Amino acid sequence: MASVEWIKTFFFAKTAPLITPSHFRGFPHLTGKECTHCFQCMMICPAPGAIEVIRTEKPGEWKPVIHLGHCIRCGLCVEICPELVLDSGRVHTKNAQDGTYMQFQFHITVNPVTCMGCGICSVACPVNKEIDPQLAAKGTSTSDEVIMRVYKGINTVFHEEKCTGCKTCEEQCPNRSVMVARVLEPLQITEEP
Amino acid sequence: MTLLQSVKNAVRQRSIHVCYVDTGSCNGCDIEVLACLSPRYDLEQYGIYVHNNPREADVLLVIGGVTPQWEDKLKMIWDKMPEPKVAVAIGNCPISGCVYNRPDSLTRPPAKSYIPIAAEVPGCPPRPTEIIQAILSVAPLIFKDWEIRK
Repeated sequence: MASVEWIKTFFFAKTAPLITPSHFRGFPHLTGKECTHCFQCMMICPAPGAIEVIRTEKPGEWKPVIHLGHCIRCGLCVEICPELVLDSGRVHTKNAQDGTYMQFQFHITVNPVTCMGCGICSVACPVNKEIDPQLAAKGTSTSDEVIMRVYKGINTVFHEEKCTGCKTCEEQCPNRSVMVARVLEPLQITEEP
Repeated sequence: MTLLQSVKNAVRQRSIHVCYVDTGSCNGCDIEVLACLSPRYDLEQYGIYVHNNPREADVLLVIGGVTPQWEDKLKMIWDKMPEPKVAVAIGNCPISGCVYNRPDSLTRPPAKSYIPIAAEVPGCPPRPTEIIQAILSVAPLIFKDWEIRK
């Protein structure tokens, strides 16, 4: 009897399959909280086509959908979401523990060599239009409150922080001399000593 | 089912020979496949052996978004493998190209368009347990009663 047991263990011995610990970052899953479709998860996602915020059949309800085969499990969408719609591993627990959060702003670069000062970007910008409705044709408004306008024959950026990152200027530029880059900052709440 | 067939089924479940091909990956998935061989995951206790020779392989692990140089060669490797055979795509790259699938980039995903892929393991990179699970679940399904279904 003992020899049968021995033969069994010798030939069929297998270690128990490893279980993925719960703190591992898996593919993000929904927590059931309400999505406000601010699209921050889509904007922060480094992998093309990995996350989509879509309207569900219920009226007025949106939810993010993760596409497997595209998602790289970086967990950035989980971290950036202000409503905690997504969850993965212990991202939220760690963030609360360490007081870390993310913040992004947009950085507009104008190539002075290729920019010909046509002002198409400044006119096309939807934020500019709201600030100064007079800004049209050649983008030579006198308002300094706009994001950018043509100043001394070249497109000049005045208020970068107002940019919403729609990239309309980048698409409209005939010379591809405007570039909008998202600058992401991981920050930590520090207590004053 | 004949006795010979049942013996073949039993043997094929416990003896899966694997060949992996890197069609231009970042080496992340290669390392995860390599980790399967380590004592922690121990691939060989399940009867999976890595040979890296397509002529004696049952399972082909395709890693990486297919580069232009691999477009014809991937098919050549697949044709060299004896029947029954199965191809498993490891990682995001052979599925979608993932972060490398940008305009003007030198990748031609998916691997599906060159050879028939039986299973896809998403992840960047997928965990070794997920890779082992995929091989163990898909290979016996394809190899079972191969001669009858042929």
